[in-house]
Amino acid sequence: MTADQIRAHIDPIRHEFAESRSLVLPALKYAQTEKGHLTRADLEAVAEATGFSAAFVESVASFYDRLYLEPTGTRVVSVCVTLSCMLRGADEVWEHLCEREGVSYHGGTSEDGRITIQEAQCLGYCDHAPCIQVDADETIGPMTPESAGSVVDDVRAAPAPDEFWR
Amino acid sequence: MPILNSVYRHREAGHELTDIAAYQAAGGFAALKQALGDMEPDDLLYVFHRSGLRGRGGAGFPMGRKASFLPKDAKLAKYVVCNADESEPGTFKDREIIEMNPFQLIEGVALAGYAIGAERGYIYIRGEYEYQARILEQAILTAREAGFLGSDVVRSNFTFDITLYRGAGAYICGEETGLLESLEGKRGQPRLKPPFPAVAGLYSSPTLINNVETLSALPPIVTRGADWYAALGPEKSPGTKIFSVSGHVLRPGNYEVVLGETTLRELIFEHAGGVREGQRVKAIWVGGSSVPVLGEQHLDTPLDYESLNAVGTFLGSGGCIVMDDSGSIVRATLRLASFYRHESCGKCTPCREGTGWIERILQRIVDGDGRMEDLELLESIFGRISGKVLCALAEGAVAPIASAIKLFRADFVAAIEQGGSPRPEPMWPASPAEAR
Repeated sequence: MTADQIRAHIDPIRHEFAESRSLVLPALKYAQTEKGHLTRADLEAVAEATGFSAAFVESVASFYDRLYLEPTGTRVVSVCVTLSCMLRGADEVWEHLCEREGVSYHGGTSEDGRITIQEAQCLGYCDHAPCIQVDADETIGPMTPESAGSVVDDVRAAPAPDEFWR
Repeated sequence: MPILNSVYRHREAGHELTDIAAYQAAGGFAALKQALGDMEPDDLLYVFHRSGLRGRGGAGFPMGRKASFLPKDAKLAKYVVCNADESEPGTFKDREIIEMNPFQLIEGVALAGYAIGAERGYIYIRGEYEYQARILEQAILTAREAGFLGSDVVRSNFTFDITLYRGAGAYICGEETGLLESLEGKRGQPRLKPPFPAVAGLYSSPTLINNVETLSALPPIVTRGADWYAALGPEKSPGTKIFSVSGHVLRPGNYEVVLGETTLRELIFEHAGGVREGQRVKAIWVGGSSVPVLGEQHLDTPLDYESLNAVGTFLGSGGCIVMDDSGSIVRATLRLASFYRHESCGKCTPCREGTGWIERILQRIVDGDGRMEDLELLESIFGRISGKVLCALAEGAVAPIASAIKLFRADFVAAIEQGGSPRPEPMWPASPAEAR
């Protein structure tokens, strides 16, 4: 994404913050919507648009789970594995999704490049445990291994979104 | 179903209030009009103070007292920050308020802003709650168009607006100074305290930080009066609290109770439907995962700050996770250890290294490679973390693990002696209709 595109996104909210550094995180999140991850060029564009160094911008980006500094699959499926979900079958959902996508139990991206499976910490849907979340769409549950598999099938069949909010 | 004495208007009404007209019809924005119309900011602050409302995010600090710590001289801008980074395992009450009743939160933030003399409030919402963020964003726009935010709020000369700020996936940003760092566009690593945010918070300015549930309680406290709120429940723990109940219960969900009037047993069995037939309660993390674990013998404890402290735990966020006797306490404890290892921000060495040590030792116990001296080794690690870190994350990591080893020592010893702790069958939905 270009610095101009990022400026167009953050300029309207600039007056809401006493210090412009607060714009770094919104700028990073917006820059990521283009490809679903942040490249070196994206980090430099955020740096240019916000007026901070690329090194600082990268230090911020590397802190947050939902900012990706490496390419992912077209869609990222997060499986909550924290305690409430574990008690309701999260590990079984996790292992099933990893197996059907052909990735190790550490998670990863399917060979066709369409789906990344990753573990998530508590997503705040413990009343719907076990739950999963596709990108930053509304979290869904309770899942079974089979129903989680059909969610992934639907996601794979759907066209890629215009913007990647993760 | 409408709930008598609920502090939250959508619960009182028995349906969601995402439409501003519906919120106003249910009494919404009356408090803001009343406060701006005929109350001085200090009077409002005194109402908060007298209500006895305590912070619902986890620490339970009296809200009015916290607000009174902000310096009165107005040389620096002041800020209200709402902590909507709901990430404590087992907690999903703020999500309900945002989804069902966003205007009550907005009204609460504006009331707090008026009381402390702020012109801007920020709602910091976790990145995973993008769906909820969009609801809140729309509600803020609607409230502004209706004249409840912006310049000259309800024609009173009070200028106040709210900015929604999205996180990007980090539990530590729920810690108040980690949140402020993140809101300043930095890595969300906690600050050394003092100075506390009331003195030097956002942009080094005096800042009041409160949780969604806390700020949402302010409008009815204004309209019904501090005395009404203070009279609900015991003197030191007044008001209602929403408990999120999850895990091995038949009806997981949010249940609002008057503090001190309901026991843990009633919460789990009457409200949340209890555990499956033939099972017994084994372990309860009553205030989110960062509190000492309780057992079946604690079920008759009343739910309020003092009573829970008396049995060695904390009310915390009210995220009540229940495990029945089909579960493995050793595996559950390992899972929490993995959570804290993952979420440690890395700033303090005892936490960064210690949470990794704890996880690895518990992992080898689960895998059947544990040694009896591992339990003493774990206990020595707890002592090297506790009190030697900047924030509550590491204390929250130690509490559930140290207490589990104490309360359920026989289970850990058995896992070491019997070659590990096999994975139990999880609790599946009773019918396919329940599953999505």
